[in-house]
Amino acid sequence: MSETTSNILAQDSLSRKSLAFCGYTGYAAIILFIIGGVWLGGMLPPIPNANDAPAELVAKVNDNLLNFRIGSIFMIASFALFGTFGAGMAAQTRRFETSPVFSYTQLVFAAAGTTIALLVAFAWSLMVFRPDTYEPSILLMWADFAYFLALFSVPLFGGWCVLIALPIFFSEPGREPFPRWVAYVNLWAALLFAPGQMVIFFKDGPFSWHGIVAMYLPFIAFFVWIAIMSWVMIKIAHDENS
Amino acid sequence: MREKSQTQSRIPGEPGIWAFVTGDLLVFSLFFILIAIGNQEQGGVFSSARSTLDLRFGLANTLLLLTGSFFVAIGVERFRLDDGRDNRIWFRLAILSGVIFLINKVFEWNAKVSDGLTPMTNDFFMYYFVFTAIHAIHVFVGVVILSFLHKKSQAPFTPETQRGLESGAIFWHLVDLLWIMLFALFYLV
Repeated sequence: MSETTSNILAQDSLSRKSLAFCGYTGYAAIILFIIGGVWLGGMLPPIPNANDAPAELVAKVNDNLLNFRIGSIFMIASFALFGTFGAGMAAQTRRFETSPVFSYTQLVFAAAGTTIALLVAFAWSLMVFRPDTYEPSILLMWADFAYFLALFSVPLFGGWCVLIALPIFFSEPGREPFPRWVAYVNLWAALLFAPGQMVIFFKDGPFSWHGIVAMYLPFIAFFVWIAIMSWVMIKIAHDENS
Repeated sequence: MREKSQTQSRIPGEPGIWAFVTGDLLVFSLFFILIAIGNQEQGGVFSSARSTLDLRFGLANTLLLLTGSFFVAIGVERFRLDDGRDNRIWFRLAILSGVIFLINKVFEWNAKVSDGLTPMTNDFFMYYFVFTAIHAIHVFVGVVILSFLHKKSQAPFTPETQRGLESGAIFWHLVDLLWIMLFALFYLV
């Protein structure tokens, strides 16, 4: 990688602004999820539970219908921004690759992750579309689907984190796309997502999709990870020496 | 010999690996607390479930990981000495201990499942299977890291390579430590 290429960001104001933009969309995604998923949508903390009887879930949905519907719209906006957030990180990785490899793999995982997340919002919205027309167990399946998409996808979201960490570790010291501590944060994030894979075995308790280990830990870790990576992108964009 | 240039004491590895280890320990602390709460609230269930665990498997696994850690420590030390010897054998032995641990684990889980004991049987076995599985993933990742260390140990000595080896070794020691805690909580208490 020539010195000229690595200095491009220093001289190229569009690249700086683009990277900062991607970082800010990460922040926006968090805020939109707090409104849509936490405050209105009943996703975190979860209003549905994995061990709800179907009729119970129908009642919960009907009690929160308007909030869940509006929440779904905020959630889909949030999850669409995973695309820009992920592309920003891939672009930053790309700057330090002579031939792109990890930036490609990151783009693939970012695209898949964004698609999975969008499906979460779709499932949530279908759960609240016509709750009295569908069989109650179909509503339960939409809730299951939403949480399984988000939690059971550890190789995808955890893998994404590993694909950010690896090019940092493989780089020559001083020529890493992100500071070394970012690699360790990404590995820790992947570790925190891992318990989500357990949701297939349990319908109650800490490892169910409403549980503290399999749901709260990965969900919170995920948005904290977005916050940290967004901050890093914005910092790199604004740092004169990048 | 590189010893003379290393007389100043320093913390091995790099800061990032220690931050990661701390984070991992925090997560496992949550797991240990959950086991402790379960033990408190369902003492009878836990103690009768505990008695069905085979202490021989547990002890064998503890010895395997401790020995593996020993080998890794020797390997890192020998690299530091830089006396031209082939140090890869130590990392190969450590990898072997990790692989045998995993095979042992599979046999042990299989034995339990054949006896009708699954993660859904009761809370003890829920924690037992889930946490030993999460630990087993750590062992697997550790074995992968050891295979990188195995290759790195033949590289020419540089302080960066030494730190890299130490960082990998620190992760392996963490894996060892986590197992000792799980062994105590599941098999002994």
